[in-house]
Amino acid sequence: MTLGLPEHLARASLSRALASAGHAAGAVCLASAMVIAVASIVVEPIGEAGPDRTAAIAASVLIAVQAALFALAAVHPSVTLTVAYLLGGTAVVYGLTVLVMAPGNGFETTNNALLAMPRTALLLVGGAGIGSRIAIVWATLGWGLGEAATFLGAAAAGAAWAPSAAAAAGLGIVVVTRVFDAMTRSDGRRETALHRASQQTRELVIRHDYELRAIARLHDTALSHLVAIAASGSGPVDERLRTAISHDLSLIVGRDWAAEHAEDADAIGARTGSTEGMSAPGRSAAPRGAAERGADPTRTGRVGPTATVAAPGGGVPLADALGVARDAGLAVNVSGAPEVLAAVGPRRRAALEAAVAQCLMNVVRHAGVDDVEVALGRADGEVTVVVVDDGRGFDPDRVPDDRIGLRTSITGRIEQEGGRTRIWSRPGVGTTVLLAVPEGGE
Amino acid sequence: MSTALRLTQQEVDPIGGVAASRLVLTGSILSAATSIGLTAWHWDEVGSPLAAFAGVLFVVAAGAVASVSALPARAPFTVDRLWFVVALAVGGAIAEYVSTVGADRYLYDNYGPLVVGVLILSLAPFSTWISLLAAGTVAAAVLAILAVGSSGGSATQANAAALVAVNSVAVLALSAAGAAYSATIVRESLAWQREANAIALERDGGVRAGIVRSVQQGRVSVLSREVLPFLAGVMSAERISVADADRARELAEMLRRALKAGIESTWLDDLASSIEAARQVPIAVNDPAATAARLSSEQRPPLTALLSWLGSAERSRSIRIEVDANGSGALVRIVAVVAADAGGAAPTRRDVERFLAVARAVGVGGDLEVTRENVRVEFRYDA
Repeated sequence: MTLGLPEHLARASLSRALASAGHAAGAVCLASAMVIAVASIVVEPIGEAGPDRTAAIAASVLIAVQAALFALAAVHPSVTLTVAYLLGGTAVVYGLTVLVMAPGNGFETTNNALLAMPRTALLLVGGAGIGSRIAIVWATLGWGLGEAATFLGAAAAGAAWAPSAAAAAGLGIVVVTRVFDAMTRSDGRRETALHRASQQTRELVIRHDYELRAIARLHDTALSHLVAIAASGSGPVDERLRTAISHDLSLIVGRDWAAEHAEDADAIGARTGSTEGMSAPGRSAAPRGAAERGADPTRTGRVGPTATVAAPGGGVPLADALGVARDAGLAVNVSGAPEVLAAVGPRRRAALEAAVAQCLMNVVRHAGVDDVEVALGRADGEVTVVVVDDGRGFDPDRVPDDRIGLRTSITGRIEQEGGRTRIWSRPGVGTTVLLAVPEGGE
Repeated sequence: MSTALRLTQQEVDPIGGVAASRLVLTGSILSAATSIGLTAWHWDEVGSPLAAFAGVLFVVAAGAVASVSALPARAPFTVDRLWFVVALAVGGAIAEYVSTVGADRYLYDNYGPLVVGVLILSLAPFSTWISLLAAGTVAAAVLAILAVGSSGGSATQANAAALVAVNSVAVLALSAAGAAYSATIVRESLAWQREANAIALERDGGVRAGIVRSVQQGRVSVLSREVLPFLAGVMSAERISVADADRARELAEMLRRALKAGIESTWLDDLASSIEAARQVPIAVNDPAATAARLSSEQRPPLTALLSWLGSAERSRSIRIEVDANGSGALVRIVAVVAADAGGAAPTRRDVERFLAVARAVGVGGDLEVTRENVRVEFRYDA
């Protein structure tokens, strides 16, 4: 997410960032002043009349005091420490002025580089409080106190006073940036409403995804029956059709994708009501939605014990998928280690088992064979399930657009859990579907 | 390398980056004015007017490059632009040194360090803190050499270390300020993003539950309420009637149509419908191949925000959106017809530029054309 700071946080964040900037610049000013003071102590002057070493030692002590107060005020920007820094710094600037403006140092006025550094550091206090107005007040106060201290120091040393151009420039930069920040901060953020747009987009995408899955689910399971009924004309209901409808109804009502996600919501207590229609998380074979409408498909007693949601985190491996196959008269030869399914999280396992069930349903509908191989394994951090049949097969590149069972109910479902699907199929040769999901997960 | 080292405010807070482009212009004007003012101030020290003139020109050029490079239309700002600006500004400082060589009484009134520092500071919203610090250090090193070279004409007696400190303090202080600003704002923005992501994840369950409920009341549920009882009825019946067969055909067709419509539509169609319903602004989406689905979760919000903004405050009379494939990416063209009575709410280039700036921050290319009648925006999404 690269949407930046929201309007309500921008003011405080920008204010803190600008205060940090001032603190960094102030620290460099004091460090440079210290370098000059220390250099005056240890290095021989270039000319004949250099600065007095005793004065330089005194200056370095004063700068150290200002630096210590500055650090305190920067780390804990309370009113007390800000005021303490301003008062202490004013005293330091006064002392430095007396030392620097002593005769023989060659400075004509107090507008010089040496006195500019502590004065600039004084106005870069940042100060307590958030916002441009208070920051400008603190900076102006620091600048004024620095100039006043220099004036008094110059008077004491008998030197000419002049305001510091560098400190004035520093104050100017602080005021310009703070005023600019106050003027430009909020309008753009409020108008663009990016964070609201982000939330809205997120919801739109989830909603669209759910709708498509729900339609696809209904389509995958119900369309062939509707077509079969339409094609059969009037007459007795074919028993195979009756069995298949019974199964599919239980699958539609009992194990919907949307319902799977709603389970998560249940867990956080957000779910409040409606469980009719296509959402019935974890519901058993007796489809309440249908029963409520007076058409209980279990009346015929044909619905097997297979429609329970694949038990997340436990239960018989692939119980649901095997139930689908058994009721459809498809023999399933399971090889490998079914217990590997315990290596994936409940939701991921439910998705994997649902995809396997869909694969078996496709075998029943399209392959034209009576048996299928299902192999389970675990390697390279993945749990894999391979479904192999020797049936009619198909050309994966020529699957019609309206056949989205493979794309949505199998591939989409596995990809949703960070897994992958490979399909090998050729007409007349059979089909192999590999489903692999990473171990773990929710 | 930590993420915060490699990021700039412009990348993590694009709206802040757009606003800061005016600050760069301000810094550039101040730099140019400073160079002209201080050159005039110490004109009696100038031995080479040509070099003095060249120095001012270098500073003006540096300011111009900085201002143009920071324009939202040229986002993202790259580190080579920072170095180019610094090189030009340091060139100005060198020219100033040449112009006063041997006669520079005070280093204090030289503009070189100040303008280099101000330009680095003004580019802080566009650069990483490490590059700002590096640029400041390199510039300070060059200025230190100049300081030692100009000590011959100095009015004050000082050692070389003091001269170096005096001549580099401005550029170092301002670079440090820029670096601290950049580091703090990036750190705060990233912290906020982490917090927002955590909150979004927490809310996810509730949002999904709400969506599931509303989907159940939508077209799928209506369809399932037709289909499921019908199938249940057939399953429990002894015979299928002619009416049953006709009804099955009808329902199958409805199901196919719903699926086709679902596959062909995307979140963008839903967004358009939602804005249209809320704002009474007709929005036409032409996305026959559902290409809008290719946009990543980071790329969608700027487009959503722009469409919501164009559709609000009676800015637009109508909006047309064309989506085409662009290689494996997508090309989205938006044409909004500005409402005749939009008045002060009428979109300006600067308004729309903000959305493009956010889009550019997530790697989306964009072009913009704003006239009195129309706003045309083109987003180019790479896969």
